Amino acid sequence: MGCSSSLPGRSSGRLGGLNSSESGGVPDAKNLRVKLVLLGDSGVGKSCIVLRFVRGQFDPTSKVTVGASFLSQTIALQDSTTVKFEIWDTAGQERYAALAPLYYRGAAVAVIVYDITNPDSFNKAQYWVKELQKHGSADIVMALVGNKADLHEKREVPAQDGLEYAEKQGMFFIETSAKTADNINQLFEEIGKRLPRPSSSSS
Amino acid sequence: MLLSLLSRRSLEVDSRDAYGFALRPQQIQRYREYSSIYKEEEEERSTKWKDFLEHQAKSVLFYSSAEKFSEVSQVKTTEEKEEAVLQRGREGDDSGCIISDCDVSTECNTEKEVQLSKGAKEEVQLSELPGKEVQLLERPVKEFQLANTHRKQVQLSQESEKSAQLSEESEKDKIHSKATKTHKIQTWAQVRPSVHIIENMMSCCVKKRQKMKEGQISASRDHLPSINEIGTSGGDSVEDVDHATVKKSEDNVVGKMVSSETLFSWKEELESLVHGGVPKDLRGEVWQAFVGVKARLVESYYQDLLAIESNVCESKERSNSFRVPGKFQKQIEKDIPRTFPGHPALDEDGRDSLRRLLIAYALHNPAVGYCQAMNFFAGILLLLMPEENAFWTLVGIMDDYFDGYYTEEMIESQVDQLVFEELMRERFPKLVNHLDYLGVQVAWISGPWFLSIFVNMLPWESVLRVWDVLLFEGNRVMLFRTALALMELYGPALLTTKDAGDAITLLQSLAGSTFDSSQLVFTACIGFFAVTEKRLEELREKHRPAVLVVVEERSKQGRVWKDSKGLASKLYSFKHDSGVEEVFNSVESDGVLADGDKSRPETRSSNLDELLSGLTVDSEVDSLPDLQEQVVWLKVEMSKLLEEKRSAVLRAEELETALMEIVKQDNRRELSARIEHLEQEVAELRQALADKREQEAAMLQVLMRVEQEQRITEDARLSAEKDAAAQRYAVHMLEEKYEKATAQLAQMEKRVVMAESMLEATLQYQSGQARVQSSPRSVRNQSSGVESPRRKTGLLAFGLGWRDKNKGKPSNAEDSGDKSVNDEKDSNIA
Ligand SMILES: Nc1nc2c(ncn2[C@@H]2O[C@H](COP(=O)(O)OP(=O)(O)OP(=O)(O)O)[C@@H](O)[C@H]2O)c(=O)[nH]1
Ligand SMILES: [Mg+2]
Repeated sequence: MGCSSSLPGRSSGRLGGLNSSESGGVPDAKNLRVKLVLLGDSGVGKSCIVLRFVRGQFDPTSKVTVGASFLSQTIALQDSTTVKFEIWDTAGQERYAALAPLYYRGAAVAVIVYDITNPDSFNKAQYWVKELQKHGSADIVMALVGNKADLHEKREVPAQDGLEYAEKQGMFFIETSAKTADNINQLFEEIGKRLPRPSSSSS
Repeated sequence: MLLSLLSRRSLEVDSRDAYGFALRPQQIQRYREYSSIYKEEEEERSTKWKDFLEHQAKSVLFYSSAEKFSEVSQVKTTEEKEEAVLQRGREGDDSGCIISDCDVSTECNTEKEVQLSKGAKEEVQLSELPGKEVQLLERPVKEFQLANTHRKQVQLSQESEKSAQLSEESEKDKIHSKATKTHKIQTWAQVRPSVHIIENMMSCCVKKRQKMKEGQISASRDHLPSINEIGTSGGDSVEDVDHATVKKSEDNVVGKMVSSETLFSWKEELESLVHGGVPKDLRGEVWQAFVGVKARLVESYYQDLLAIESNVCESKERSNSFRVPGKFQKQIEKDIPRTFPGHPALDEDGRDSLRRLLIAYALHNPAVGYCQAMNFFAGILLLLMPEENAFWTLVGIMDDYFDGYYTEEMIESQVDQLVFEELMRERFPKLVNHLDYLGVQVAWISGPWFLSIFVNMLPWESVLRVWDVLLFEGNRVMLFRTALALMELYGPALLTTKDAGDAITLLQSLAGSTFDSSQLVFTACIGFFAVTEKRLEELREKHRPAVLVVVEERSKQGRVWKDSKGLASKLYSFKHDSGVEEVFNSVESDGVLADGDKSRPETRSSNLDELLSGLTVDSEVDSLPDLQEQVVWLKVEMSKLLEEKRSAVLRAEELETALMEIVKQDNRRELSARIEHLEQEVAELRQALADKREQEAAMLQVLMRVEQEQRITEDARLSAEKDAAAQRYAVHMLEEKYEKATAQLAQMEKRVVMAESMLEATLQYQSGQARVQSSPRSVRNQSSGVESPRRKTGLLAFGLGWRDKNKGKPSNAEDSGDKSVNDEKDSNIA
């Protein structure tokens, strides 16, 4: 369970703290601030993905997440906007799903992760998609992530299945590996691009 | 007890703390700063506890030895060992009982061995096992590193004992394990009786609780008969359970009678000791005493549970109704390597212990089974005590302290979050307002705190200190107090945060660096003394219905989920028949209707009418909700409406705060304009001031110049004066010379006069001679008299002429003097 904090240098790198407080928490068009929630079966690698993205590390012996854990990370997109991701990494065991609404409520982005070597986790991912379609924010951006892509010799969920399902649900799909860092940054950049921009900005 | 092993292995790895837990790199420095404080505190509390326990030991010695003796025949081997040690401890007068883990070294060996043999005679009396003597004779010295293997051996030996097939090898194992155990307990020989007293006191409470929960216990025991059916070796377990319980409560009655006065007189003292922390070496035993392990312990229950499991594993064809559900097993396997990863004590054997413990618990309480977080609890307990004791401690914590917390629905956990939020609003209205404004829900952070009992959330020393108090108190009050204390400590900092992410990050990292565990515990226990179990119970009653409503809703969705899972899993396995799916589909439509989304009340369209029509539709299909179910539904709907109302009220409040904030910002804008204006004025004034300063500086310069000139003139004047003085001196000198000259002149004149008078006298003499001869001589005398003044004047004229001539000289001297003065002046100027 991550009692983890974001890197101070990176999370405070944005001057926008001021700007968001003045506009009552609504960020401007150049500096986005989004709440992102990670959902998915236990052991699919949610915590590893976040740690890879935020700290650039992979720890093969990550800690079990109890309840949820928070990290934040800011990235710059090509169009010179910055996006500060406020990431809630949730616990994967089924019963912790009872607490999930607490974390996905009001989230702008949901990243639903499964393990490509584990079909059960793909089922579970579909459950989460349904749950979010019902109870998540109306304009939530959803991404389906097949993790542990480095274990291709053990693959049990074809990439095609993931892709087809995601397309049907109008989601963004990507296969990643927290271990090799493959597609991890791309995942978050892609999400950043798909975020709805505040239509009329003051500036 | 893995921890003792650990400390012997001189654990000096920098990134781990004294307990062998990994430190986050950014906290290593802080930890180092505090480790000396921890050491001091530990020494202090060691002496305090020692005094306390020694005192108690004296006062209850008689009672405890009597009680013990009667128990000897039925306690299990470990207890017998303690027994023996107890006796020995009383014999020995060695006061150095409290040996911190790190001090345990071979040095102490000899001393202990002496003690051991000392107690040998008495032991023979007490024990019925011949093995003990053997053990004393061939006690191996290397035993210290064997703690690991010993765990396995305990297992082995206990099983072999059961089956009454003691091979020679296992006999040896047994001896080994006993020797190790004896050693460990030996460390505490003298204080053990009083730890035992604590145990008795706490077990009174356990008994009561158990009686209150009689119904539930029998319910949860429903699965136990299976032990009879499946386990061939443990067929007597049920009877044993009852038998043992009866026996023990009898004992307890005696215990109560004898010691109740003493028990309660020192309860307060004990409480303050617990607030100060339990010494490291005592912690394992004291925790067991607090949780009431001895009263809970049912002989061979743990082994029987494990036997079921292994039997099931061996013969997979058997009925699987009493085995650990596969999902728990899978989850446990996933979580074992992710439990304190890299902890030196959690090696292969440590993980095996952990697995057995978790599986045994899952069998013991199927309502909970396995829940993430338990892996950490079990891990901690295994570090502090033998496996079986750890099992019973875990049972106590899970079944009593956290009853209903980690079950499938996690109801009590959710209730506690609502309760905590209410307490927060009550205690820290300003902070909660701020968090509301930022859009941070308290439960986001406090939820994980509570569920993990702060494990991985606070530094280890603090976690253990919180657990000390929590286990002592026997309920979850300490969870609330600690969380409130953290808010008290870090609330002011949180108030400065500007967005949700920053607030959460800050709180997480501040909590993670709460190294001052004494401050935390005292703030919790003293500052939030008023938060009592009674008050919490009231609040729980108040909030539970809301949670139940949501859970009800989710369980309906759960059926939907199973449905979708069924559909999805068809892709991979073709197990599901369509009939089941139809039923589920109908339920799904039902679920959709009933689905009330708290977060989007405005989009929720279902009202009571629709609900009712929905219900009739449902009954038309076939999943027949009867009248009672309808009542439940109406209740649910009602609660939902109430919930909506509440959330609307909440939203109104939120909006109000937002409005306030806007107004504040408006004010701010105005203020900032004024500030700008003022700033401009200030700038102007500054400019003026600067101008003035410039003028002043110019003036000053002028003044300085004038002054300099003055100084120059002064110099000139001075040199002129000097010149004048020099001239005056010259004049004076000349005058003197002149006077001298005049004096000489006067002298010369005198001489002239004298010479004239002499001449006259001579002349007169000559004329007198001549008159004597002729008178005309006198006439001639007269004419010469006229003639002489003329000569006189001639001389005078000469003198004056010289003087005049001299007069030109001084004027020349004056000129040259002037010139030198001028030179001087020039050099002055230069
Ligand atoms: N090979 C490989 N292993 C991975 C990868 N990501 C995670 N893992 C492994 O999967 C294990 C579980 O990863 P976690 O990130 O802890 O899983 P989680 O989804 O956070 O699980 P919960 O906290 O229980 O919900 C880790 O211990 C890693 O060893 C990956 O990309 N490749
Ligand atoms: Mg995780």
